[in-house]
Amino acid sequence: MPLATIVVPAFNVAKTLCETLDALLAQTFEDFEIVIVDDGSSDATYAIAKSYQTDPRVRFIRQRNRGLAGARNTGIAVAEGAFIGFCDADDIWEPGKLAAHVQHLQSDPAVGVSYAGSSLIDDNGDFLGQSQKPRLKNIEAVHVFKRNPIGNGSAPVIRRAVFDAIAFRPASETERDWYFDETFRQSEDIECWLRIALSTDWIFEGVPGLLTRYRISANGLSAATDRQHMAWENMVTKLTPLAPAFFTRHAPVARAYQLRYLARRAISDLDAERAQRLLLASLRESKRPLFEEPLKSAVTILATAALALGGREALAAIMSQRAART
Amino acid sequence: MNARPVILHLVDDATAGGVMRVVEFIRTSADMATFGEHRVLHVKRGKLIAKPFDADILVSHLAVSWRSLPALLAMRASNASKPFLHIEHSYTEAFVALNVQNKRRFAALLKVSFSIFDHIIAVSEAQAEWIKSRGLCAPQKITTIQSCVNLEAFRNLTAPHGPVRVFGAIGRLDFQKGFDSLIVAFRACKNPELRLHIFGEGDQEPMLRELAGDDERIVFRGFAADPVTALAQVDAVVMPSRWEAYGLVAIETLSAGRHLICADIDGLNDHVRGGAMVFRRGSINDLKQVMTDLVADKDAAGNLSPYRQGRLLEERFLQGWAETLDLIGNRRAAVRA
Repeated sequence: MPLATIVVPAFNVAKTLCETLDALLAQTFEDFEIVIVDDGSSDATYAIAKSYQTDPRVRFIRQRNRGLAGARNTGIAVAEGAFIGFCDADDIWEPGKLAAHVQHLQSDPAVGVSYAGSSLIDDNGDFLGQSQKPRLKNIEAVHVFKRNPIGNGSAPVIRRAVFDAIAFRPASETERDWYFDETFRQSEDIECWLRIALSTDWIFEGVPGLLTRYRISANGLSAATDRQHMAWENMVTKLTPLAPAFFTRHAPVARAYQLRYLARRAISDLDAERAQRLLLASLRESKRPLFEEPLKSAVTILATAALALGGREALAAIMSQRAART
Repeated sequence: MNARPVILHLVDDATAGGVMRVVEFIRTSADMATFGEHRVLHVKRGKLIAKPFDADILVSHLAVSWRSLPALLAMRASNASKPFLHIEHSYTEAFVALNVQNKRRFAALLKVSFSIFDHIIAVSEAQAEWIKSRGLCAPQKITTIQSCVNLEAFRNLTAPHGPVRVFGAIGRLDFQKGFDSLIVAFRACKNPELRLHIFGEGDQEPMLRELAGDDERIVFRGFAADPVTALAQVDAVVMPSRWEAYGLVAIETLSAGRHLICADIDGLNDHVRGGAMVFRRGSINDLKQVMTDLVADKDAAGNLSPYRQGRLLEERFLQGWAETLDLIGNRRAAVRA
């Protein structure tokens, strides 16, 4: 049995799947299997994934479309490894990523969720010069809620036991357990991480380095911000009974961060009106991000103002600061 | 060791709760007396006692904390040659998840504290599994003895007839017990014939009353000094606890032939074997669904738990103690030899 399983959820990713799989197969730590879950793709994803099956380390599962959470759950259900990593089929793992996480998880039995930072790439795979550099140590539930140090779905490698601890099977499900909540089409990551933090004692901890190349697509992301925020609020509603006082205390600040994040996405899409609306909503919710992360908050405010007043050129001047976009 | 050893139980929590009831059962049970003379000593939490206890075996029911660590060490040092057991009544995975900020530091506390004792007794399989899987003590140093009280009066209750109509919640009205979730789930069950009787008092009472609002089906009954009387008045009990090392109310409920619905956390998972139904922790919808299904079942009343048949749980408790004391005795004999 391989020590690690890397789950690759794949939905209409014919363009990027090869690059993702090649990077995984080139990992310096070699005792792993790859489980590709084709989540009902309608493009050439199936054929490409199939062609990799000549490699004995690669397994392939095809299912009707169940969404990202559903694809990951299928991967976890069949995973044989004691450690389970995820790599979305448009992201790239650096060669030493698996080795770093395996070393981390093996050396400290209390760590359940091991993650690292990411560098951001564009549709062509070129570095955007921005990165996610999360806090690595002393992570409490509140950090997960406010700043989601895991950052993106291709960053963590997680102990199997963690998933066993949060497994559940809704009455409607006949095939296998759920780990990620498949009723979420957005915020499924943070919902799962926060549920782990609030219902198990497994420790979240990061290892240094930017070990994932995380792809940011340029096309019209900001249009989805309203839906994304709604999913985030659904998460808060869903998890509140676990720890009501925790949410009463921390939700306003976490919401301010969430709105600031969405404002930054709107800025990236040059959607001035939306950016302004989200930024104001963030400030109304809590001023804490101003004190906790003054630089990033200031850049967001300046960029929003620049975009509103001066348009694209003014924004370019501000953005040359190259603040991390997370 | 004398023919009839003195077993001294150290307690630092005299408030009415599970710990004291288990200790009382140990002290008064004729069967437990076959192992030795059980004495109970109340100590002030964290107080340094640097003289040997007049006993052959020490059993700690104490709450472990950084502050009480010196006191534990002093007891150990002053009673170096005596077997010193610890029953972990409090800590569980879900407790740590919701109450501990620095989880690594807390794991270190448990590891250090457990290392002071010769043997650790977990009060549920789930708790033992957690302690072992996190490496908090060596696997050969831990056994499970599921907590118990005298259940005869519960078994003697007549099981209810007809469909389930009256739900009960029994325990302190505080964050741990999770009755807030229960009230919300119950209010979502619209059947006007249903009742929810809440037995207990505590900090959360005003908040719970507010949640109950004008729903006249929900009745606050105050503290129930006698759990048998409380159980006699309900068809089913719900335990939506956020953490629970074992949950005596669960075995009392099942022994009384009442249905039990509990959250799928910690030691409450141990009760599935006894016939408990579980709901997904923190899911009000799931709890509501399990309650609704139970109410819809016309033949539901009278849970046929195996725990109704004879002294199954009491026997298991005695067996656990017999094995644990044997283990300690043999281990020490081996060391002496």
